[in-house]
Amino acid sequence: MKSTKPSAIIADIVKYVILIAGALFTLLPFVWMVLSSLKSANEIVQIPPTMIPKKFMFSNYAEAWAEAPFPRYFLNTVFIASVTTVGVLLTSILSAFAFARLDFPGKKIIFSLFMATLMIPGEMLLITNFITITKLKWIDTYKAMIVPWLANVFYTYLLTQFFSSVPEALYLAAKVDKCSDLKFLFKIMVPMNKNAITTVAILSFIGSWNSFLWPLLVTNSTNMRVLSHGLVRFQSEAGTKYQLVMAASCILVVPIIVVYLFLRKYILEGMSYTGVKG
Amino acid sequence: MKMKRFMALAMATVMGASLLTACGGSGGTTSTTTAAATEAATTAAAETTAAASGETAAETTAAAAEKTIEPTTITFWHGMNNKQEQSLTELTEKFNAENEYGITVELVNQGSYSDLQTKLMANAAADTLPDIAQAYNNYFTDYVDKVVALDDFVANDYPDWDDILESYRTENSEYGKITGVPFNKSTYLFFYNKTMFDELGLEAPKTWDDLQHIGEVILEKKGLAAIGYDSMCDMLEAALRQHGEQYVDETGALFNTAGGLETLEFIMNMYNSGYARLVGEDNYFSDSLSNGMIGGYVGSSTGVSYISTDIEGKEFELGVCPVVGDKTNAAYNAGTNIVMFAKDENNQKAAWEYMKFMTSKESTIKWAMDTGYLPVRTSAYESDEYQQFMAGDITAQAAYEQAPYGFVSKASFTGSNEIRNVVSTTLNELITEKADAQTALDTLVAEINDVLQ
Repeated sequence: MKSTKPSAIIADIVKYVILIAGALFTLLPFVWMVLSSLKSANEIVQIPPTMIPKKFMFSNYAEAWAEAPFPRYFLNTVFIASVTTVGVLLTSILSAFAFARLDFPGKKIIFSLFMATLMIPGEMLLITNFITITKLKWIDTYKAMIVPWLANVFYTYLLTQFFSSVPEALYLAAKVDKCSDLKFLFKIMVPMNKNAITTVAILSFIGSWNSFLWPLLVTNSTNMRVLSHGLVRFQSEAGTKYQLVMAASCILVVPIIVVYLFLRKYILEGMSYTGVKG
Repeated sequence: MKMKRFMALAMATVMGASLLTACGGSGGTTSTTTAAATEAATTAAAETTAAASGETAAETTAAAAEKTIEPTTITFWHGMNNKQEQSLTELTEKFNAENEYGITVELVNQGSYSDLQTKLMANAAADTLPDIAQAYNNYFTDYVDKVVALDDFVANDYPDWDDILESYRTENSEYGKITGVPFNKSTYLFFYNKTMFDELGLEAPKTWDDLQHIGEVILEKKGLAAIGYDSMCDMLEAALRQHGEQYVDETGALFNTAGGLETLEFIMNMYNSGYARLVGEDNYFSDSLSNGMIGGYVGSSTGVSYISTDIEGKEFELGVCPVVGDKTNAAYNAGTNIVMFAKDENNQKAAWEYMKFMTSKESTIKWAMDTGYLPVRTSAYESDEYQQFMAGDITAQAAYEQAPYGFVSKASFTGSNEIRNVVSTTLNELITEKADAQTALDTLVAEINDVLQ
């Protein structure tokens, strides 16, 4: 922006117009969700659709809120997502370090086996895992929703790649200074790969936050259910109450926005590392 | 370093163990089944047939003797939400408070139908099914042996089974044993824009020719399609049955006949001429009807609550009539049955008490009036209470009118589920391509037979 040449100004204008258009485009579904959540049952099915509701139906929020015990669902979701994330970070960091830096017999084979499991679609494991959980008598417990997700091969792989790119010299230098492996890992390796680790944490948290089928499979009581289960309560065999789904979605999205505001910097950096869509 | 090695090994072990469990599934099932059979055999030692069919024998003895049921808790998995769930809860609380045996039924909401279906499937594999659950027949095609046969209960402890509508009895017997009692039943009806029909001098259709006439008039005068079908595979089966043809069984498609071709000529003509159209992205036609964008549609009677007749500037009067027949009438029934999986004999008896209660005349009337589902008993339809309700409810009237013609798709063979999807997709493609009747017939028959090979 320092340049004052006309051509540069025009280039800037074009750039910002495109950026603003892109931002609006990205924002539209969100705005649409908020506006739809305030429409009446009649207006939401109206064709052509209206943009701004004729009458703001704030009662949709009360109605959606009353349909399911959302506070309880919220606590469950936050708890499960947090514990899962902490757990998955721990296992991924430790195993990634082992694969990246340590030498042990069969390392390559074990790593290949790990990679091979990525080829198995999650749906295939669903029933198997479910039977395991049933045999352990973990149905309807937090354990059932957390433990199966405590190790993640993809995250391990991702971190292994990042850890491998840290120069070996650093590790050897630390060794010369009698630094233990664990100390090296947490004092040097982890801080150096802060962004990658944040990425894993965010991906894991979001994945856990959005998960639907597994928590539904392993729980039976309302007290153990999570937020995504609240959303399907507005669907029936013959149709969906969109205005209530939207109202509930708005409620659901608020905590995520708060988290985002705090972690904005890391999320942006993390996203650019993995190329994962926002 | 050692720690990492251990962890890697531990992970490998866990992975291995989960693979083993997968193979162990059927083994586990066998052992529990044997245990149940042994238990039943002991109870009914006097019966000579005990060893052959342990459970059945035990039930017969129990029902014949004076009924004793120990207090117990029964788990009921359902997929009802909103007002349906409310009414279900009220009925269940009533049962819990009033039954003389100390039976408590615990309701467990499992989300939507498809979620419920997945959960049941997983729990069938793990052998941890609930005592009772809502289910369509096609849910348990793969594990029908885990569904408790209710024949003896019905024979010995259900005073008026014949009062249940015939189509529901047929549906619940298709596996060669009684697998359930009808619960939340609906049927496909023709919903139409009566204001538009009146304006154009059209009447509620009674024959296929009427449908075609309505299609011509509405297309000409309004430039709109007159008819849509929420479910394409059910539309096809209904049309075939209306024309006196058969649809599909375990041997394959049965409509590669002259009559089948005539049926597809009618269907493809409706679509190719623009008298009928596909639903597209909306999934249900209720929105189109609400917005005056279609003359009428065939959809579930429970969908009526999603039709808005008072959108500003588009107000209209709703008309409802039975699905139009041809040589005969045939209307697709939807809705689930209550199915029993309980293994424990006492729980079976307790669950049966609840199933009797839920299908009693009194309960089914309350359920129908609360939710818009249909009563499952003739006597309930004919009761003063329901007749009064029906007088103010055109949907219920139309449903009653076509009650004798209800049917459901055969589900008791492997592939029945897939055929539903294949037929819907294929029909959508054929209609988009404006295929002629012969091509449509050949393609559908080939696709269906492909599934079963």
